[in-house]
Amino acid sequence: MTSVADFLPQKETGRRMSDESFITLLVVGVAIGLFLLASAVLPNFFQFQNLVNLVTNNWAVISLGIGVSFLLVSGNFDLSVGGVVALSGVLSVYFAQAVGGANPLSSGLGMPYVLAIICAMGGALAIGALNALFVVRFKIPSIIVTLGTMMVARGVAQVITHGSQRNTNLPDSFGFLGNLTMFGTSIKLPVVLMVVLLLVAVFIEKKMVFGRVTYWIGSNPVAATLSGINRGWHVTKLYLFSAAIAGAVGILLASEFKSGFSNRGLLMEFDALVIALLGGVAIAGGFGSVIGMFFGAIILAVVTSAATGLVLSPDWQFILKAIAVFLAIMAQTWALALRNR
Amino acid sequence: MSVHSDTFALELDGLSKEYPGVRAVDNVSFTVEKRTVHCLVGENGAGKSTLVKMLTGALRPTSGKIYVAGKNHTPTSPQEAREGGIATLFQELHVVDELSVIENLTLGMEKKRFGFFVKSDLEDRVVATLKAIEPSIDPTAPVSSLSVAQKQIIEIARAASSGADIIIMDEPTAALSEREVERLFGVIRRLRESDVTVIYISHKLDEIFELGDNVTVLRDGKHIVTKPLSQVNGRSELIELMIGRPVFQDYKPRTTVTDEVVLQASGLSNALLKDVSFDIKKGEIVGFYGLVGAGKTEIARAVFGADKYSGSIALNGKQVGHSPREAIAAGIALVPEERRTQGLFTSLSIRENIPVMNLPRMSAGGLYRSADEVSAAQEYVERLRIATSSIDKHTEKLSGGNQQKVVFAKCLFSQAELLLLDEPTRGVDVGAKTEIYEIIKNLADQGDAVAVFSSELEEVLGICDRIFLLFDGVVREELANGPNIDISHILNVVTGGGEAAVQ
Repeated sequence: MTSVADFLPQKETGRRMSDESFITLLVVGVAIGLFLLASAVLPNFFQFQNLVNLVTNNWAVISLGIGVSFLLVSGNFDLSVGGVVALSGVLSVYFAQAVGGANPLSSGLGMPYVLAIICAMGGALAIGALNALFVVRFKIPSIIVTLGTMMVARGVAQVITHGSQRNTNLPDSFGFLGNLTMFGTSIKLPVVLMVVLLLVAVFIEKKMVFGRVTYWIGSNPVAATLSGINRGWHVTKLYLFSAAIAGAVGILLASEFKSGFSNRGLLMEFDALVIALLGGVAIAGGFGSVIGMFFGAIILAVVTSAATGLVLSPDWQFILKAIAVFLAIMAQTWALALRNR
Repeated sequence: MSVHSDTFALELDGLSKEYPGVRAVDNVSFTVEKRTVHCLVGENGAGKSTLVKMLTGALRPTSGKIYVAGKNHTPTSPQEAREGGIATLFQELHVVDELSVIENLTLGMEKKRFGFFVKSDLEDRVVATLKAIEPSIDPTAPVSSLSVAQKQIIEIARAASSGADIIIMDEPTAALSEREVERLFGVIRRLRESDVTVIYISHKLDEIFELGDNVTVLRDGKHIVTKPLSQVNGRSELIELMIGRPVFQDYKPRTTVTDEVVLQASGLSNALLKDVSFDIKKGEIVGFYGLVGAGKTEIARAVFGADKYSGSIALNGKQVGHSPREAIAAGIALVPEERRTQGLFTSLSIRENIPVMNLPRMSAGGLYRSADEVSAAQEYVERLRIATSSIDKHTEKLSGGNQQKVVFAKCLFSQAELLLLDEPTRGVDVGAKTEIYEIIKNLADQGDAVAVFSSELEEVLGICDRIFLLFDGVVREELANGPNIDISHILNVVTGGGEAAVQ
């Protein structure tokens, strides 16, 4: 019997492809395979525009997935990103709304838009700092801390919007960023930002000390400290970056819809987690890649969009996600075990 | 069926345990009389723990037989060993702090029907046993309110009330204060009176003379002697029996030792250490030798900044900061005690493990030089002769010796002036051991200072120029190594004996 590894390229001089590249290739393979399968079954699925849509429709989750993946690799969860998306969006609206509207929901602080964005980012970073404080300083498990801050962030958003949304009395400039199309195509600025962010993240992960330190911490936190790595400061930076990405996503989404909605980004933290796991990031830390996470998002997008194209109603999407996650993670575990037998 | 079942609680007949290339226990036969405290002594690696593991079912003998009260004893699990009449008390406590004394005593022995507890005389029985052993403990008190010694007594009571005729105690006093030790001894004597046989394992020879009826000495897996302690002529005879031969040492005085002090530590104190001061010179290998818990690891970790301490540590006259990061920056590297949990990134490859302690050497402006990583890995794999098919192999899959060499490579890559090696050859096979000793000597010859923290006397005598003897967090003595070094004196000091005890 031959294993999957036999078909993959082997470098010369006794060096062998790392498990990480192996899993990434596997994820890419599955994503392409699923796309071709869906194309064979569904009419009109195999179109360039459809392929582009798979990415552009998911720019928010993929962007969040970058911060979440880095944290997972370092052995920490970040479940607060969905809440931060809501919080920063609502804050940017509240700060930018003119003073003295007709009712409480239409009057804000009347800041210039740029200042409103900066302050909203401040709110997002505050949540990131809170995560870092509890995880690093008080050594509370990150899953509990970020579950709490997720609710804190969404709770604040809910109070500011009175559980509803704010969408009146906004300056015209507010809708600019989220709806700006680029290069004469229908591709919007947030998608371009996501691509830039992905490239930067891959560069950091593969080429910079910062990326490597993240793997060391996730692989063995004790050994990392005994090897002179300032673990607490590194994890703090990761939480701040993740919160900053989530803050930017929230501001862009608020701009796109010209509204601040307290339920925006609901369950997005779990989608970000799911695509990271689908992409081969290990929940125990020390293993995974941003490229894998990206193709994990593609797998999820193909599965859900193909399902809605089939007879299934959108109500089935959670079941489908569940099946995709279980199958993907079993396949990865199995493939790694086979390779390292 | 043995014929002596009425006088002997335990008989071993030609018991052996073989591992590939080594006989951990080699044809051991001796008997343990009923109603005695039988001590088991030997150096590290003499085969004591392997023997205990076979008695408790954790390991199965390669050959030979065990009889408990005349019956053949072939346990496959600690549970079966207990049913066969042997209970064991390990060094670490296995009590549940949140439960009461009585709940701890009956844990796992409750009578159940359909998943519900049913009343039985179990509780009365265990309370009676506890009262017999130590009447001062309230059975309804929460275990968290008890002292360490009292917790140990709870474990003994649990072992006794399980109906075991033989209780094995492996270093039970390691965590106890002197007064608590006295009380524990009282309990052990009362156990003996109530027809229980105790097999007592300890490195502390004073305890053995105070408590034991008979003693069995093991050396290199072989049975040396079993005799009444009344016929043993003091500590020195016991030590001689334990070593048995001139300790293997090929120490040759080294010529590269200088007078230039690299590390000056003075007055180190923390939870375990008491006013520890020493210096290490350029080109010198110093050894810290002591029993488990004597403070070796604590000294290494304090110097490296991994544990809190008061006192001062200076490298080349400059104070060293109190964190591993600052220690590494100053030029100190540590090979930690537990390589898998503290030293290695087991899910990463050899290549990815080596650069971590010297990131400035691997990067410029935050950019990581992957090509340098490959060449560094190739260099160290060759230099330390790490046996591997590829530098991309996961360290998880290497043998113990090769894993240890990767940890060494990490430290060497940091270009430290002072290397702290905590148990550098623990769990390493003989071949790799010799290679690691060569590496250590070469480092010192090149002008590095090396400190070896070890509980293996041969190791310390084989490579160290100067030896610090530790007992109970204190540096008891400093010795220069040489052909005339007095081994029984060393063993006497590290087991807590004063000058006067040497005969």
